Amino acid sequence: MLRKTWRRAAVATAGVLALTLATACSEDPGESTDLAENRVGAMAEYGVGDQFKATEALSFSTLYNNHTFYPLKDDWLFWSELTKRTNVTIEPVAVPLSDYEQKRSLLIGAGDAPLIIPKTYHPAETAFVASGAILPVSDYLDLMPHFRDKMEKWNLKPEIDNLRQSDGKFYLLPGVHEKPTQDYTVLVRTDVLQELNQPVPKTWDELYTVLKAMKAKYPDVYPYSDLFSKPTPTGALLNILGASYGTQAGWDYQHATWDPAAKKFTYTGGSEQYKQMLTYLHKLVAEGLLDPESFTQTDDQARQKLANGKSFVVTGNAQTLVNNHRPDLAKTQPNAKLAKIPLPVGPAGEINPAPRLENGIMISSKARESKNFVAMMQFIDWLWYSDAGQEFARWGVEGTTFTRDASGKRAPAADVDVLGLNPKGTKHLQQEFGFYNGVFTYGGTPDLVRGFFSAEELEFQRVMDARTPRAVPPPHPLTDEEREQVSLWETPLKDFVAQNTLKFALGQRPLSEWDAYLAELKAKNAEQYIEVVNKAYQRFQDKNS
Amino acid sequence: MVILGTKRAAPRTRGPVDSRGYRIFRVVNAVVLTLVVILTLYPFVNIVARSLSDEAYLLAGKVNVVPRGFDLTAYRLVMSDPLFWTNYRNTVVYTVVATLISIVLTTCYAYVLSKPQLKGRGVLVGVALFTMFFSGGLIPNYVLVTSLGMKNTIWAIVIPNAISVFNLLVMKAFFESLPTELEEAAAVDGLNTYGILLRIVLPLSKAIIATMVLFYAVSFWNSWFTAFLYLDRQDLLPVTVYLRNLIAGATSAESAAADADKVQAAATLQAVTIVLTTLPILAVYPFVQRYFVSGVLLGAVKG
Repeated sequence: MLRKTWRRAAVATAGVLALTLATACSEDPGESTDLAENRVGAMAEYGVGDQFKATEALSFSTLYNNHTFYPLKDDWLFWSELTKRTNVTIEPVAVPLSDYEQKRSLLIGAGDAPLIIPKTYHPAETAFVASGAILPVSDYLDLMPHFRDKMEKWNLKPEIDNLRQSDGKFYLLPGVHEKPTQDYTVLVRTDVLQELNQPVPKTWDELYTVLKAMKAKYPDVYPYSDLFSKPTPTGALLNILGASYGTQAGWDYQHATWDPAAKKFTYTGGSEQYKQMLTYLHKLVAEGLLDPESFTQTDDQARQKLANGKSFVVTGNAQTLVNNHRPDLAKTQPNAKLAKIPLPVGPAGEINPAPRLENGIMISSKARESKNFVAMMQFIDWLWYSDAGQEFARWGVEGTTFTRDASGKRAPAADVDVLGLNPKGTKHLQQEFGFYNGVFTYGGTPDLVRGFFSAEELEFQRVMDARTPRAVPPPHPLTDEEREQVSLWETPLKDFVAQNTLKFALGQRPLSEWDAYLAELKAKNAEQYIEVVNKAYQRFQDKNS
Repeated sequence: MVILGTKRAAPRTRGPVDSRGYRIFRVVNAVVLTLVVILTLYPFVNIVARSLSDEAYLLAGKVNVVPRGFDLTAYRLVMSDPLFWTNYRNTVVYTVVATLISIVLTTCYAYVLSKPQLKGRGVLVGVALFTMFFSGGLIPNYVLVTSLGMKNTIWAIVIPNAISVFNLLVMKAFFESLPTELEEAAAVDGLNTYGILLRIVLPLSKAIIATMVLFYAVSFWNSWFTAFLYLDRQDLLPVTVYLRNLIAGATSAESAAADADKVQAAATLQAVTIVLTTLPILAVYPFVQRYFVSGVLLGAVKG
């Protein structure tokens, strides 16, 4: 009896599935052109430099990543001023930042998603493409003059091409930067450098010399003891070191690396560059320069070692430097000086590895049915991509939250504080006004992106700007079946590479076993993986050249 | 007469001397249990100490059991956040209402199931058991709750999880252990079914009800997932979500955008919020605990 019921349920489920598939496949590809019925509230003439203002009052639901530091407030100047300028009200669906991704999947899966879904990191949008729940935004770029303008002016085509899916469209409107802004680098105790009469290291080899000198003077100290052992052991160090060696490691680990000379992809974890990087890392560990605990300790432990003079070098960025390490040191060793040094140069030459795209916006497919669709796209274009919109989202209202001097340089208003730039300010730009909000502030010109940077950080960025941005690999979008196939290979491969990276670095496995390691990689389908990627690359080339 | 002397000489009334093995057992027992107590207590004492300490000591890793550099700034910060209190109030309201509903529903269901003469009892038990092993899944549940119009209301929190099958079965076993003669006697004296339940059975079931209240209340107090699913407004969320978000916010890379001095306080803030949220449960527990012990045993052993 029970079995019969189950069988019936199974048949019913299969039927529903088949139906869903049938509807998903029968989509009409030509529907994107006719927008005549979706223009209510839209501006007839809207181009680069224009202020968007809806012709009637509109409101759009938006998924809102609610940050603990500046929890959502209804009386923010951001909301009222935005409505004043654009005639649009945003209806936030507030989600705690702790579980934003989960709620986003749930809402999209349940068909209950808000129209605008910001703060989506590529390739998270890929998961929703097959269901048809999100809009192929690339079909509607003609509604977004500012986005197109920035894409052309800043030559972002190669980057944006990488967002394309196997149908040649992209589903995510990314945050775009004019210039890459490298964040992480090596932080060094410059007072120790002085004491040892060492120059600031410019390359990884010079850093090795410096660490060596530190070790000679303080034999019982591991001069480099790193943070960020989770989720990838020493993810940050591997990330910057990998970039300098022309490969991708740590946080940034990608299975496929583009080889421009051979015009094909190779498997990252088995490449010569990866081996060189491991050789260097192993040298640091073997000679007692890099703390072996760097791969396992918690961030707090590493922080304490630096604070207590048990290490002199860590990986970090401007925030960890200013917010964590300097206050730590000020309490424990008032004479210590810690500074960000320009990213050390490796065999890959003087490059700036930072990406120029950041998290972006997905649009619900149901927005396309709305009579206000065109107005919504124009609104998104204005707020996220126009110079005026970007300045508004970041700095707020001139005269109220910020001022501009004769040279055009912006500064927070006298009573407004942000990032501790104006400690006397009683009102906080994020908390009291709702500006510089992670949901609405993406990318822009260096002038905007680096508006809150300290002089020290600007100097770091000046050095980094002189370097060539890292070349972007050509697009190689996989089909659904291919993605399903490679995702079965990805996890074991990634774990295997991470494990062996650790073993090689720590010397648990000698580098002489590299060939055996390559054979093991092959046994874990690394070659098949790369074959699929190269095939996808070739297919995209054939279709789009 | 030397009464005292004879008394002193009287044989021990404690029974035979404890055997060597038993004495060793007792010592080992005491040692092991003391260790368990320390292990359980340490994290809590540590959190309390952290919540009262100055961050400088926290960051230096010098805080273990005793607070160092006594500092109440973090308590002031958390307590001055109106959202914390709003969410705290929500938690109290949700817990009280949800526990009430759960107790009423579970008692009714369990009492009915405990009657062997009930027709279709097997099906009713099966219905409950089925949900223990199979569920509709996240998205169907969400669609259901949303289309019932319960999203962004207290009902989304208190209705969907009102009956815990485990609690139901414990309670059913308890009711089955009550002597049927009592109910028969009450029936003879003229009580109807409801009278029997309300005036005879329930007064005899205080222990199991107290246990159920504790089970339900603790689980509702600690739950955050349903609230996170069905509530889109921060002023409706329970304090657990607030706490979760606070911890995530303090550890995520994004908080790097926050101010230096306030990020510094994050470590203490977490500890303070944890202390403030666990406190009520800790305060209530000792009073319910005596029922708790006898209640679970009563339910487990069928008379």
